[in-house]
Amino acid sequence: MNCEQLLQYLSDYIDQNLDEDLSAEAQEHLATCPNCRVVLDTTQKTISLFRKQGKRVIPAHRRQRLFSQLQNAFQQK
Amino acid sequence: MTNTEQPLIQALRQRNPEAFTQVFNQYSDKIYRLAIGLLNNEDEAEGIVQETFMRLIEHIDQFEGRSQIGTWLYRVAYNLCIDHLRKQQPNLTLAEEHENSAKLPQPVILTNWHQPPEKLLASEEIMTQLDKAIESLSPTLRAVFILREIEGLSTAETAQILNLTPGTVKVRLHRARLQLREQLAAYFAEQTA
Repeated sequence: MNCEQLLQYLSDYIDQNLDEDLSAEAQEHLATCPNCRVVLDTTQKTISLFRKQGKRVIPAHRRQRLFSQLQNAFQQK
Repeated sequence: MTNTEQPLIQALRQRNPEAFTQVFNQYSDKIYRLAIGLLNNEDEAEGIVQETFMRLIEHIDQFEGRSQIGTWLYRVAYNLCIDHLRKQQPNLTLAEEHENSAKLPQPVILTNWHQPPEKLLASEEIMTQLDKAIESLSPTLRAVFILREIEGLSTAETAQILNLTPGTVKVRLHRARLQLREQLAAYFAEQTA
């Protein structure tokens, strides 16, 4: 596997969707290519950051207002 | 209709306030995250949440249950967001350039960086960087990334909501990840050097 192919399969590798042979080829390439290791590592960190920090919620004042309006509409229909 | 949702849908049809509270609590933040991710505006995102739930209230008696309530709400919200974006950008296209080719965004910044300490993760500066990175994606990549990575939906669920094939969802997720990596790499490499 070369760098271009590794990039092509990167998400499948991260998601563990590659078959055994391709996964072994990817690991073999990663063992010898520092640039691809950086791309893999920083892509995983990017995903992890968004998973941890992406879960914002509706600000309380907006949530209360929305709920009251919608609850009223729900009961009046 | 899934068996688990039948009682809830029945209760909604009977105008049971607790059933509405349950659906609102379960889905309002999810819809808000999708909307703010696509529109990047709190007022507009609030409007999308309101309109999405109003559609549910108006259509609950005709709700056929061919999809789950959550999938239905996400789909309505996504379509409302796209309509909204089209008003702002009449030339908005939902097809991705090079989607069917093997051409991928090439990694340029190859510096490794360390994840910031937990206490800094929620800082305003980091949140701003994440928002800027998400904003740099096209709406079509953004929607896939938010549903798959932030909401944790499966490829099949995301495909159903966005009316795409599972293959297209996978391709867009891959592109979104690579673009976001590049966006964050410059910032974090400098911050954690």
